[in-house]
Amino acid sequence: MHIFGDKLTWVFLTTGFTVGFGHCIGMCGPIVISISLNLKDKNTIWPHVLYHAGRVTTYSLLGGIMGMTGSFVMVTSEIALIQKGVLIFAGVLIVFMGVLMSPWLNSVPCLNDGTGVQAFFSKTFGWMVRLKPTLAYFPLGLILGLLPCGPVYTTLITSARAGMEAPDIYTGFINGMVLMFAFGLGAMPALVIVGRMAKIGGFKHRQIIYKAASIIMVAVGIYFIIKGIRY
Amino acid sequence: MQIRIKIILCLNGLFLFFMLFLPNVPFASEKNNQLVNCDIQNQACVQTISEAVIFFDIQPKPVKAMSDLTFEVKVKNVSVSKPPMIDLNMPGMKMGKNTVKMKMTAKGAYQGTGIIVRCPSGKTIWQATVDLPEIGSVNYIFNVVY
Repeated sequence: MHIFGDKLTWVFLTTGFTVGFGHCIGMCGPIVISISLNLKDKNTIWPHVLYHAGRVTTYSLLGGIMGMTGSFVMVTSEIALIQKGVLIFAGVLIVFMGVLMSPWLNSVPCLNDGTGVQAFFSKTFGWMVRLKPTLAYFPLGLILGLLPCGPVYTTLITSARAGMEAPDIYTGFINGMVLMFAFGLGAMPALVIVGRMAKIGGFKHRQIIYKAASIIMVAVGIYFIIKGIRY
Repeated sequence: MQIRIKIILCLNGLFLFFMLFLPNVPFASEKNNQLVNCDIQNQACVQTISEAVIFFDIQPKPVKAMSDLTFEVKVKNVSVSKPPMIDLNMPGMKMGKNTVKMKMTAKGAYQGTGIIVRCPSGKTIWQATVDLPEIGSVNYIFNVVY
C-alpha cells in the first residue's frame, strides 16, 4: 500500500521543517549563504529554488533506493566513498565562491599576474557563475544532496523500513521516495529563508561585508574539506 | 594592504583553530563526557524509575554507528503492559525520529533492531531514550564507535 497522505508522510514533512530550522541551518547554511552572496546584486529566488529542487530530487531517489532494497546499511556502505567526495567537493566549492567574491587575494603580489589563485579558480569553476541559474544550480543541488547528514540518514532508515514492510519492490521504492521527498520539502523553507537573509545588496557598506564574508567562506570551505578527509 | 592580508590570514587561522580543535580541548571533551552515563561498549547499563529497574544493552560490541544493532531492554520489579520504545538522538541535537520497535522475548525482556547513524560533525555521544508506557522514560547516554 502506498503511503501518500499517510500519517508518516506528514510526520516527516514536519520533521524536515523543524530539523531545517535547527540542524540543517548549521550544516547546509554555509552552502546556501555562499550561493546568495555569489549572486551579489541579482535579486532572484530561482537559484535557491533550483538548488533545493536538485537536493530534494537526490533525497527522493535515495529514499526510493532504500525502500526498494529495504537495507539502509547496504546502500550507505556503497555510497560512503561518494559522500566523502561530495563533502570535499562542497568545501572546495565554498572556498572557490569565497575566493571569486573577494578582491583581497588579487592584492597579493604573486597572485595578481593573471595566473594566481583567483585566476585559477575563475578558469576552473567560473563557468558555474556565468551559466544561467537553470543550468547551474539544479545539478549543484543534485550533487550536494549526497552530503552526509544525520537527519537525512535518520529519514533514510525509515524509508528502508517502509520498503521492508511494502508488499513489493515497486511499492517499497515509491514509499521510500515519498518519505524522503516529504523530509526534503519540509527542510526547504528554513534554508530558503537563510539564503534570502544573506542578501546584503541594500546595505550601505556591502563591499566591506562581502570582503568579510569571503574570508569566512574560505575558512568554512577549508573546514568542510578537512571534515571530508576525516569522514 | 600587506597588513590587511596578514590580518585576514590570522583571522582564518583562528577560525580554523576554533572549528577544528575546540571539541578536542580538555574542557570541551570533559563537558561532553559529563553527559555520558552508560558504558555501553563494555556492559549493559542500569537505571531506575521508582521501583522499576531498567537494564539496557546493545549488541554486537563494539557498538558501531551505521551498522545493524540489536537493542535489549529488561524491566524488573514491575509489570509492563506494552513493549517499551527507544528513541535514538544526539544530546542537545534533534536528528529526527529514529525509533526502535521492541518485541517481547520473555517476561519483562524486550528486543529490537535499529541503527545509530554517523554524524559528520565527528561527535560520538548518543542518547537512547527508553520510554516505558505508564512508567516513564530514562535516558542512556553513551559513546559509539565511528
